Amino acid sequence: MLDFALKISVALFAIAIVLNLYRVAVGPSLPDRILALDTMYVNSIALIVLFGIWLGHRTYFEAALLIAMLGFVSTVAVCKYLLRGDIIE
Amino acid sequence: MEALFATTTGILAASGLYLALRGRTFPVVVGLTLLSYAVNLFLFSTGGLTTDGAAVISDDASKYADPLPQALVLTAIVIGFAMTAFSVILAMRVRGDVGSDHVNGNRVDEPREDKS
Amino acid sequence: MSLLLIVLLPLLGSLLPSLSSNQRRHQCALLTAAMPLIALLVTLRETPGVIAGEVPRLAFSWVPALGLDLALRLDGLSLLFVLLILGIGLLIILYARHYLSEADNMPRFYAYLMLFMTSMLGIVMADNLILLWMFWELTSLSSFLLIGFWSHQSAARKGARMALAVTGMGGLALLAGLILIGQIVGTFDMQTVLDSRDVILADPRYLPALLLILLGAFTKSAQFPFQFWLPQAMAAPTPVSAFLHSATMVKAGVFLLARLHPALAGSQEWLYLVSLTGLVTMLYGAYFALIKLDLKTILAYSTVSHLGLITMLFGLNSQMAVVAGLFHILNHATFKAALFMTAGIVDHECGTRDIRKLKGLWRYMPMTTALAAITAASMAGFPLLNGFLSKEMMLAETLETPLLGGLAWLIPVLATIGSILAAAYSLRYVRNTFFDGKPRELEKTPHEASFPMRLPVLVLAIVCIIIGLFPAFSATGILTTAADAALTMPAPELHLSIWHGFNLPLLMSAIALIGGFMVYVLRQHLFTFHRQFPSRNSLAIFEGAVQRLVRFTQWGIDTLENGSLQRYMLWVVISALAVSGMSLMGIETLKGELAVQKADPLLIVGAAITCFAGLATAFLHRRRLISLIMLSVVGLMASLAFARFSAPDLALTQLAVEVVTVILLMLALFFLPQKTPKESSASRIVRDVLLAAGFGGVVASLNYALLTRPLNSISDYFLEHSVSGGGGHNVVNVILVDFRGFDTLGEITVLCIAGIGIYKLLNRLRLFMPSSDSEGRPWSPDRYPMILASVSQSLLPMALLVSVFIFLRGHNAPGGGFIAGLVTAVALILMYIAHGVEWAQQRLSFQYQPIAVSGVAIATLTGVGSWAFGYPFLTSAFGHFHIPLIGDVELATAMLFDLGVYLTVVGATLMILANLGKVTTSHRPSKQKEKA
Repeated sequence: MLDFALKISVALFAIAIVLNLYRVAVGPSLPDRILALDTMYVNSIALIVLFGIWLGHRTYFEAALLIAMLGFVSTVAVCKYLLRGDIIE
Repeated sequence: MEALFATTTGILAASGLYLALRGRTFPVVVGLTLLSYAVNLFLFSTGGLTTDGAAVISDDASKYADPLPQALVLTAIVIGFAMTAFSVILAMRVRGDVGSDHVNGNRVDEPREDKS
Repeated sequence: MSLLLIVLLPLLGSLLPSLSSNQRRHQCALLTAAMPLIALLVTLRETPGVIAGEVPRLAFSWVPALGLDLALRLDGLSLLFVLLILGIGLLIILYARHYLSEADNMPRFYAYLMLFMTSMLGIVMADNLILLWMFWELTSLSSFLLIGFWSHQSAARKGARMALAVTGMGGLALLAGLILIGQIVGTFDMQTVLDSRDVILADPRYLPALLLILLGAFTKSAQFPFQFWLPQAMAAPTPVSAFLHSATMVKAGVFLLARLHPALAGSQEWLYLVSLTGLVTMLYGAYFALIKLDLKTILAYSTVSHLGLITMLFGLNSQMAVVAGLFHILNHATFKAALFMTAGIVDHECGTRDIRKLKGLWRYMPMTTALAAITAASMAGFPLLNGFLSKEMMLAETLETPLLGGLAWLIPVLATIGSILAAAYSLRYVRNTFFDGKPRELEKTPHEASFPMRLPVLVLAIVCIIIGLFPAFSATGILTTAADAALTMPAPELHLSIWHGFNLPLLMSAIALIGGFMVYVLRQHLFTFHRQFPSRNSLAIFEGAVQRLVRFTQWGIDTLENGSLQRYMLWVVISALAVSGMSLMGIETLKGELAVQKADPLLIVGAAITCFAGLATAFLHRRRLISLIMLSVVGLMASLAFARFSAPDLALTQLAVEVVTVILLMLALFFLPQKTPKESSASRIVRDVLLAAGFGGVVASLNYALLTRPLNSISDYFLEHSVSGGGGHNVVNVILVDFRGFDTLGEITVLCIAGIGIYKLLNRLRLFMPSSDSEGRPWSPDRYPMILASVSQSLLPMALLVSVFIFLRGHNAPGGGFIAGLVTAVALILMYIAHGVEWAQQRLSFQYQPIAVSGVAIATLTGVGSWAFGYPFLTSAFGHFHIPLIGDVELATAMLFDLGVYLTVVGATLMILANLGKVTTSHRPSKQKEKA
């Protein structure tokens, strides 16, 4: 049962990432792309967590934690760039 | 799986090289970064592609991923960052001193808006 | 030990003249003369032993890996040359004291001269081929300084340059030849080489080695066709010419022939190459000595001719010829040094060396005239003088040679012709300068030179007469020992005497003298004949060749290195493609024997996304920010790939670096144009796409070929020993901080250096900053958004906690200094983003440079620390400790090393990013906007 659920959710998140990528690629505006990128980070976290459940390794949850944090910083930096041009001022 | 991996590194390397052959500094730096991603993946794969290998030594682990390429690539990633940083700041310095961001250092042309 | 003294005392002597000032000339000359004098006395003390057959030797190991030993020997051959070099050198010092004018820097001159003397002594005493070569090159260098001593004269500079170029190139050829010999024999030790003649002659490498060595010897000794540099070197002060072109520099070449004679001679190649070159040179030099108008040039060509004679003798493969050659080396050194000095006296007293202006000087300088006449007669081969003896031996030897087979009679005939010319130019030198009417158009009235200036000439003339009159008494002993060293078997018994009875050589000598007189009388016809040929200025030809070479290389450099990065990239990529493409073609099938793993759908999706994002980065590169976002997608996917293939450490590092890279690139992008102009031509784009596709194809093929082949990894060692040897369960981290710790140390040093380099690059950088974004919207006035500030502040302690956690467990679980450092750096950077540089600097009141440097220092000291316990660099120790509250902790010294890594990563990353951020803090265009 768990195996089945895992497969379904992995497939769904994979589709989600592909859709994110589509949005990143076509835009049309920059905020669209940034939002899509951020969502992509979130979906990657989900994928990694699922992968961790599947393999039964704790390590992957920590990786997910880090992706969450670093993805946040990355998004913040891009947003700041859009707002002010200079990230660190 | 191997063919898929190899194709991916090939495409990344090709994209990186195409950018590295451009005439402006920024695409060249981006291209070098892309190229270094490709190279890192390539080097990493020399240890073989292991699914579900144990990351740490333990008694119940059945197989391990090859740790040596991993150690090499780990430092390569960090050094790659240092290289990217150095080249991009070199590019900024060139723009400040020469006024152009062309890789050949041509003193061009581009309209300089208002100078702060 | 005395051997070392002989070589090193003159070297010490090259320092002494500088103690004296240019004004106190006596003192300067005395100081200079002291060291060679002592060396000469030391040599004389050794002389009886050497003549009795001893060979003092001395050896220190110097660079054993190169086969280079500081090994000296003093056999008969060395002794002959050492006596010549020191004896004539002392006379030259005395002569130069009175020759140099007030304007010349005497200490400098003497210093060069002593340096030259040292290198010359080194050549003749070297007991190791490489050491010999080293001194050989030193003579080229120091003779360059001496010939170009009057560096204000263009002729001196050009002559010196030409001498250096010709002899220097010859020296390189010699080195190659000596290395070949060393490979044939297996050692560079002189005695072993000299004893291995049969091995050398039988080796197929003998001919190339011989050719290269002869190239060295012939360039040094100005043999045809390399004779042209010697007349140009006459731009040197006369004492230099007298020393270099009589007893030393040019004799180094013939010395080498004599020195290696036991090892190399005896073959047909040697016979033809050496003796014919010598013969041609002898005739060529003699002819031009008769034609030229400048006294020193006449002597220079006569030197060329005599060197040819000596070379020919060494080439004849006859034992007696070698003895004759050595004898002529001695004789030529004495009379030629004296003749150069008389030419110098004439030049000094009359202000010119033009033979057309000089006439009848005997009225003004009778003593000099007498000395010049004696020494020139010796050069002509006049009986009762030393030149006669060796010349007659030479003529006798030419009668014996098997050279040219049925045409062997040509050799003695040509040798006699050479002697006729020698007699003629000697006569011309004396008669046209000192007799034959009155001088014309002289700048000053000549007068006799001072006695000290004549003294060296007098000494040498007396030597000429003594050897000429009592050869058996004065020269037999040293010649026999010298010949012993230059021959494989004991030298033939030597009967030097003035009178051998009426025989063919005597007839030839007589013909030479009478013929020389007749040629001299009829010389005008020869000059008229010579005028038909266009005159060739060897200096102009040489300089022209140099200029052409420079232009050619400049063209080559301009073509290859035109300052275009794009072209360099092109070359690099094409060479990489060629090399790896070739090796790919070499394998039979792309797919190896390993079974292929099945790809799951998730992997296919991931690969597709990565490829798409990579291609998008390239195709959208004109819109830089979008390209950058695509790049960050690639980075994210690469990180997922690492996670998927069981490399959590890599995944974490890649992710952190990816974030830092994007921040860095965006910081830089702010100061760069937001869009790339369209400027590549269509053909250029097609070329680049093709190149990139080819490159990608090769990379993919390589990768596939590699992945499908079985792996021979040394990793099993690391896996086995990680826990027992490194005390850690995370093998990747143990490799980084323990097994391959030295690599990591280098790596963090590079990181630190990059950070410092960037810090310096950003120093005083003033850049244009756009006042609006790429679409023309003004920047938002809200510098530090409130929400961001509060969220990030609450994130900081958590992030720091995570990084400490990752750091501590790194040895046993995914993590470690690199990742922890990156996480800390990202957390701190977030503070900069959210609050700005000023806010952050108030709270983080420390510099990042010391942190990075101290990180490297800690790592290094950890490594050095293992020395204290007697272990090699970077040996790690570990143990288990119980810490209250936390429990059992395994601590390894590798942890300390990892702390160094951590600090370096944090320091360097922040050094880069924070300094980059500071560039804008002072003024922002948006402020102006607000005002407006």
